[in-house]
Amino acid sequence: MNPTPVYIICSPRPLVGKTLLARLLSEFLLLKDGAVSGFDINLKEPSLLEYLPRVTETADIADTFGKMQLMDRLIVHDGVAKVVDLGFHAFDEFFKMTNEIGFLKEATRRNVAPIILFMADTDRVSARAYPTLREQIPLNALITIDNEYVVRGELPGGMALGRVLRITALPSFLKTYVDRQSFSFTDYLRSEQDSSTELHQWIRRNYTSLRELEFSLLAQKS
Amino acid sequence: MAKPVVIVVGADKGGVGKTTVSRTLLDYFSANNVLTRAFDTESPRGTLKRFHPDVTEIVDMTATSDQMKIFDTLNAGTSVTVIDVRAGLLSPSLASLRDIGFLDAAKAGQITFAVFHILGPSIASLDEIAETANFMQGAKYYLVKNFINDTQFFQWDQATYNSYFHRIKDATELTIPKLNEMAYEQVEVSSVPFLKFVANKGKEDEAANYSFVLRGYVRHWLANVWSEFDRIKLTDLVGAKPGVRGGEK
Repeated sequence: MNPTPVYIICSPRPLVGKTLLARLLSEFLLLKDGAVSGFDINLKEPSLLEYLPRVTETADIADTFGKMQLMDRLIVHDGVAKVVDLGFHAFDEFFKMTNEIGFLKEATRRNVAPIILFMADTDRVSARAYPTLREQIPLNALITIDNEYVVRGELPGGMALGRVLRITALPSFLKTYVDRQSFSFTDYLRSEQDSSTELHQWIRRNYTSLRELEFSLLAQKS
Repeated sequence: MAKPVVIVVGADKGGVGKTTVSRTLLDYFSANNVLTRAFDTESPRGTLKRFHPDVTEIVDMTATSDQMKIFDTLNAGTSVTVIDVRAGLLSPSLASLRDIGFLDAAKAGQITFAVFHILGPSIASLDEIAETANFMQGAKYYLVKNFINDTQFFQWDQATYNSYFHRIKDATELTIPKLNEMAYEQVEVSSVPFLKFVANKGKEDEAANYSFVLRGYVRHWLANVWSEFDRIKLTDLVGAKPGVRGGEK
């Protein structure tokens, strides 16, 4: 049986597209597998819970009880992919905790595959955070997300060492459209008859990238 | 034949973590394949015995019959004897050991004797150091700063700190870091050694269902405590070789 993927979407910075990617990934996994479990640790920003309330639950890692509630779920090999939308304010605490409790080692033992999706940015906080993650996470499980809307140019040196997943920027009017809470990427694909629209192609391109990413990562872990 | 080793864990103050340190010692020796027995002086109901029932016996250190039980059997094949001394009994116990000639035997090198003196946060607790030091000739003396309750031990006031911690020339300082409160409580409720908790096992080695997060915190903490034991070369003291330990695999 393939390992159970746990996607952790993170950045030490706000407003870099974490929730956009969490939505895309969750909807893609729902479409592909019919099930996904979302965890929203992002209550200070617009977050996954507001977009996908039926598959998302909130988590708070400010205290040990909250950490138990979250991590004891993430470590279960049940075949249902997990998506964690990790708010910028919880970034340091989360990775300090995963390091202390040996999350990656235990995950390997239990056939769970954590995949860290790091939203790149050009600021100093992100530049400091990436090497810290590198110390804890093997390069094959650490994916840099090059969100064109945020990075607007070349990725900062060092962040492109491992695999990079690129998300092209949407025009402002389309971004406003997809940011509406009632918008669903999959519903749009199903309902829009014209497959040549920019948004249609953008969603398909990202779904394809996510499928390739999952396939390559799980193939090397299984 | 190797010399018998006696380790006394004590303090004259209660609630400073004597039994916790004793438990980490028993786990450490167990992981290093050192045969160990323990005596719990919290008579009649011992906390240490609750966690390590197979190797622990409850004794009354003030009773001659129990003193015989401990010290007349030192050559019975077990490498290390750990004695968890009840609060308030450290100084009287050391006085008893002196009276029965045990301290002289240690001084003469017939027995390896070590004292883990667990320190509390108050001046009264630090005053015990000087009192205890009078008995320490021929013994290894470890001053254990237990950070279980975020005590600072006057490190912010160097003069006070030096007046206590540098008073005894041959004392070795040891630091026990803080363990996450919920993790500590969960181990308490489970009544199993730290090692079994980390391995997700119950009292009878049956599979348990402890939180992965809490087990992780205990594993991390225990590794830090053991690295302190490694630093003071505790296995050398008992004549064993440190090896790959199950708990750290």
